[in-house]
Amino acid sequence: MTTEAVGPMTSRARVLAALRREPVDRTPVCNPTSVATVELMDLVDAPFPLANRDPELMARLAATSYTELGFDSIMPVFSIIQESSALGCNMQWEQKDNWPTVRMSEPIWRDADDIRIPNDFLLHPDMVCVLDAIRILKKRFGDEVAIIGKTMGPWTLGYHCFGVEAFLLMSLDDPGKTKLCLDRMKEATLQFGLAQIEAGADALTLPDHATGDLVSGEYYARYLKDLHVEFAERLPVPLILHICGRTIDRMDYIAQTGMAAFHFDSKNAPDESMTVMHDRIALVGNINNPETLFAKGPEVVRQEVLKNLEAGVQLVGPECAIPLQTSIENLLEISQTVREWHGARGRAH
Amino acid sequence: MAQLSDITNAAIRREIEDFLERPEEIARTVELFARVSPLMQEIAAALIEGDNGAVDRLTVQALDQSVEALEIMDDGLIAGMGIVGIKFRESFIFVPEVLACARAMKAGMAHIEPILSAAGVEPIATVIMGTVKGDLHDIGKNLCIMMLRGAGFEVIDLGVDTSDDAFIEDVEKHCSPILGMSALLTTTMPNMGKTIEALIDADLRDEVQIMVGGAPVTQEFADDMGADGYGKDALDCVALAKRLAEAAG
Repeated sequence: MTTEAVGPMTSRARVLAALRREPVDRTPVCNPTSVATVELMDLVDAPFPLANRDPELMARLAATSYTELGFDSIMPVFSIIQESSALGCNMQWEQKDNWPTVRMSEPIWRDADDIRIPNDFLLHPDMVCVLDAIRILKKRFGDEVAIIGKTMGPWTLGYHCFGVEAFLLMSLDDPGKTKLCLDRMKEATLQFGLAQIEAGADALTLPDHATGDLVSGEYYARYLKDLHVEFAERLPVPLILHICGRTIDRMDYIAQTGMAAFHFDSKNAPDESMTVMHDRIALVGNINNPETLFAKGPEVVRQEVLKNLEAGVQLVGPECAIPLQTSIENLLEISQTVREWHGARGRAH
Repeated sequence: MAQLSDITNAAIRREIEDFLERPEEIARTVELFARVSPLMQEIAAALIEGDNGAVDRLTVQALDQSVEALEIMDDGLIAGMGIVGIKFRESFIFVPEVLACARAMKAGMAHIEPILSAAGVEPIATVIMGTVKGDLHDIGKNLCIMMLRGAGFEVIDLGVDTSDDAFIEDVEKHCSPILGMSALLTTTMPNMGKTIEALIDADLRDEVQIMVGGAPVTQEFADDMGADGYGKDALDCVALAKRLAEAAG
């Protein structure tokens, strides 16, 4: 953390500086996964599932994080399923009040040789939707606000395309084959990431769900660390790695990847996480979703925001994609608390 | 009181020494394995290793030697899963290793279940299990189901993405059942509360004991949603189901 004076910044400049761990005029408010809610869908008439498949609706709903909630970033990719849809997974697009999801019980691949990234991968309507939404947002907001894209990591694609249980058992039974699969699937991550950068994304979230609720920190080091280093080298914008759940045991590895930031879960204490990261990578997070943002009121939200600010977390926001029934009131409290905290202290961060 | 040295199987002794920390769990586990036959210890050790081939072979061998199916299940398979559950709870192992152990248990249960079904053993209670609406994850739920069945419960598995109506329909079908709901995503957890509200609206809430679980679920969340209990893992789920069954009389 620095206390040197910094002039007023645009939201975009603020987010990008924080991702570089450079001085900012105030802590940016950011959710690199999703802030879509039913209330926001109603507000701008952009409901699920259409807002996941129509670029104009996607852009309109995504923009509410900036225009309605006072966040410093816009994330148009609400879910984690666009690539899997393009790869041929069976989808369940759901309704307005539920997330679209991949039918993982109907795997499309069983072996490394089954893995095919289609030649027209980026031309699939669900990919084009994201790319067009980013272009729309870039045109609408220019350099005012940070437009963050999202490309799924190969571990998550493995869950979707092989099925979670089959993929995890393969990782135990045949580490060589698992590494080969990850290496082949990474092409999807890279292609979609590069296409979003070309469309105008300022940064990319890279979810890769090697969560402590499923696999060990050693697993992260064995299977993913090198791939994440490669992504950081080959995708020329700041990358925000997202892994849910307990991750403190792998944060040291994550800090060595060259990623700009790590979006962390409320199961990890902000101060302890900051200590582990030791200024090698920025942190984004980590306000609890189900118990705080969904179930409690603004005062509890405020306390969690303050805990992150006091710990020096570089970008403050929800821990993950928020439940669709979360109230706007609670989400507004995040940016309001951040502004008040900086106002009261009269200092930069 | 049994001693560690009373256990003949070296692998089981090592597991207890290396991974069990709570004195009451050590005492209970030593007592259990000191009592059971070397072949049951060998089945448990193979299961803990995740060696499904060995569990399959040893189960057949035990049945050929006229060991009771119930004894193989309790003293071999479930006893082994007890240690697996503790190792998972303490983060010595993670889901891939647990899945391998579950696969081994299934290999044994494939021989045991038909025998127990034919014998018509009365279940402790009926448990209706499902992953909530919008959530397609089922690893945790399936582990719980396996352990519940092994512990003597009849389990109705509603699968994943379970609607309120599906839960309600099965609660109506069964007398005083236990209902277990699972969620892996923070985004789908609120659907547990919606299902409980639907049960209230259908005037069925008092007819059913509700337990919830899943990686992001906590006791606080379970209380907020109005559940009767929260299970942290599959072992906890079985203990909770037994408590709820007793409470329901």
